[in-house]
Amino acid sequence: MKISRRNFLKGSATTLFLAGFNFPVLANTDKKKNLVVIMLRGGMDGLCAVPIIGDKNFEKRRKDLILDETIKLNSDFALHPRLKNFHNLWQNDLGAIVHATNIPYTKRSHFDGQNLMETGGHIPYSIKTGWLGRGMKLAELKGDGLALALPMPLLLRGIPSNDNFYPSKKRLPRTELLQLLKSVYADKSEHDLANMMEIIANRSMMNNGGTSMSRKNSSLAHKAGLELKKINGPRVAVFEVDGFDTHAAQGGVNGSHSDSLIEMDSIFKSLEKGLGSEIENTLVLTLTEFGRTIKQNGGRGTEHGYGSAIFMAGGLLKKSQVYTDWPGLKRKELFEGRDLNSTIDARSVYASAMSSVFDIDFKRVQKEVFWGDKVVNLSDKLFKV
Amino acid sequence: MKNFYRKVAFGLGPDDKTPSDPLIWATNQLNDIPEFSWKGKILPEKELRNYYRDYVYGDRKVLRKKFKNDKEGYKREKNKLRHATGQKFWWNLELCIRYSEALKSETPVLAKLWYFWGNHFAISEKDFLAQYTTGAYQREIIRANMNQNFEKMAQQATIGWSMIHHLDNEQNIGPKSQEAKWAREKGKIKGVNENHARELLELHTVSPDCGYTQEDVIQMAYIMSGWRPKWGKKRLETGDVHFNPDAHEPGTKIVLGKKYKRGRKSLSVAITDLVNHPSCRKFIAMKLCRYLITDNPTEEMMEPIIKAWEKSDGFLPEVHKAAIEVAFNYSDKYNKFQNPENWLLQMSKMADVDLIPSPSFMDLYQLGNKPIKDQRALERLMDELGQHPYLAKQPNGWSDISEDWMSPELLIRRLVYAREAYYKKSGKSQTTEFYEEMIEKNYDNPSEILQIINQYKELVHKHVILFNLPETLKS
Repeated sequence: MKISRRNFLKGSATTLFLAGFNFPVLANTDKKKNLVVIMLRGGMDGLCAVPIIGDKNFEKRRKDLILDETIKLNSDFALHPRLKNFHNLWQNDLGAIVHATNIPYTKRSHFDGQNLMETGGHIPYSIKTGWLGRGMKLAELKGDGLALALPMPLLLRGIPSNDNFYPSKKRLPRTELLQLLKSVYADKSEHDLANMMEIIANRSMMNNGGTSMSRKNSSLAHKAGLELKKINGPRVAVFEVDGFDTHAAQGGVNGSHSDSLIEMDSIFKSLEKGLGSEIENTLVLTLTEFGRTIKQNGGRGTEHGYGSAIFMAGGLLKKSQVYTDWPGLKRKELFEGRDLNSTIDARSVYASAMSSVFDIDFKRVQKEVFWGDKVVNLSDKLFKV
Repeated sequence: MKNFYRKVAFGLGPDDKTPSDPLIWATNQLNDIPEFSWKGKILPEKELRNYYRDYVYGDRKVLRKKFKNDKEGYKREKNKLRHATGQKFWWNLELCIRYSEALKSETPVLAKLWYFWGNHFAISEKDFLAQYTTGAYQREIIRANMNQNFEKMAQQATIGWSMIHHLDNEQNIGPKSQEAKWAREKGKIKGVNENHARELLELHTVSPDCGYTQEDVIQMAYIMSGWRPKWGKKRLETGDVHFNPDAHEPGTKIVLGKKYKRGRKSLSVAITDLVNHPSCRKFIAMKLCRYLITDNPTEEMMEPIIKAWEKSDGFLPEVHKAAIEVAFNYSDKYNKFQNPENWLLQMSKMADVDLIPSPSFMDLYQLGNKPIKDQRALERLMDELGQHPYLAKQPNGWSDISEDWMSPELLIRRLVYAREAYYKKSGKSQTTEFYEEMIEKNYDNPSEILQIINQYKELVHKHVILFNLPETLKS
């Protein structure tokens, strides 16, 4: 074990001191900045994706799940070997990780946890809007959201007129028919319907003659990248990746947890491809409901845990780093004696990201999106501000 | 006025005569609960729950251990287990039963209200409840009580296995209960889980408008502690719900100012009090108006429904009749954007779309086999339309606010599935005359509609436009 909690805090005393002189973020309107959130459903195992190096406590507890040939990120952490695209980003200062973090939810229900990861609240189902939707509302980004999903995720609720894209396998009717409907909607003063039909008609022109669009996340991400790149395109995109709930056969490099991580990795790659140079003005973040137990279970899988990790990508990152206040993995350092603890409220990362990308004062995000909860401004540590 | 047939039901089909008195036509459907119109197999909830038990036990206790090093083997055997327990079939059968009530029964108005209550006491997406038991719960607990008082439905839904499991009440253990004491002796902490109690107050009965506090929620959870499935080694969490006094919080509880003694009876007494609270009837009246009439119901709309409730002690047929009458009175003034399921059923009814596989075809299914593609058509279609009725994302069910159903992708689905549906029609309904008659019967502005759709020659295009006109999307 090379770093301990105490060492970390000593090293970061200066930054904590400087944080007291946080100036409000000034509006920067000369370029369009994008925020992408990838929801990882089922409980992403931060210790499988970003394992700690040389920790006996870790190796002892998951003998059969330790990965071979991990990619070393720094002296303390490695990367899952199948996350090749993320590693490329990392090497170009376009990839970073926040570790030992989670939303403030310590019970272990997917059902409640996924609700809270999207609402950002404390009590399951008590909030009916998503933190991202509320942040967009604060930044007045009506009509700027794109969900690569059907129906609209709770995460984006809170601001109307978001677009969604999750292509049907069936062909759209011909464009003239869509135009006819649009003019009927307009004649009958059905403005919302008319606006939507406009979007659909444009989409149909784009697809005509083309091959049918795939619903694979890699394909959706390419499409989203192209849209985000447009100066008048959406500024926010949301993805979903399922399958992280690996109670059994989680396996090593080729196990079932890897399959879902690879899908996430494919989103990074396709987004980058679609965005081109606009990756520079984009920030991608992941979100999950909880991490997984350190100890493997009887089925060589893992159970629901607490602390996990956040993957971040894009040119709005300050640098490649594993940002963490590492709690340690000794029994007494674990949450309830079994899970990686969370020392950073994941919502601090999301609040800072919205503040940086949407150019709104952190305190306003804190107050209006997260009800004045004790989220911390990490903008200057994680992002270019 | 003709949108009334679509507002409270699914429009008039080719074999339906235009009723001489629409209101009587509608309210006459609400007195009794007829047999299901589905003529194929209908399985009891208990039997379906046993299949669910076999699935969770087989997966959790057998396969996970047996295939711990073999991802592919685990996937393969788990698939076999899915088929051995009918996981891909039962919910399709339930959808057939459900949609027969809208399309083939004499009581489509009752069906539309059945969907309302199923969504009010929603079992949202959790584990594999949708695949095994949610449909049966909606038949045996929701529909079966639609000719009873609201209280009876609320009592039964609350202690129904689906609801108890769905809202985690099995984890709700009184912190001073015997079980919590035993846990403490072993160094473990067991305590209250408020989920179910909160939803009982917020979603099922009085709503936040009644002004309950967090303390009321906790006290309600204490009252509910101990109600859970009877645990068994092989049954796991799928046993019948019973009251286990060892997990029940001792002492007196106070909810909304009223005291409740410890014990089994307190939950039923508390539910009686909740359903009789003025906020409860107001909340239900508002929701009925929101479902049938408009996103923003007015006090005047709700009032007759509340009165009917007070007069009949929450007798649902009377409450329903009042709601239908209000919908009738406002049918010219308000149009409600229909959710995807109601939209699909309207189209199927009016245009004679062969939506539901036949009972004999569904009954060909044999346990252990993978269902044939067409036996799974409904599940896939509902997923594509964005509203599988057993897969609401949250315990508050699918939204009945228009805005939540307005997104480009959801509208695209209506365009492409209107077209698909056209090809599922019988030849005799693929004629211009059929459409003219249907439009005459179901819309107040038939000539205007005909003028719009006649801009296209081919019938399939007319069909797609008709079912995406504002007159159809809203009713």
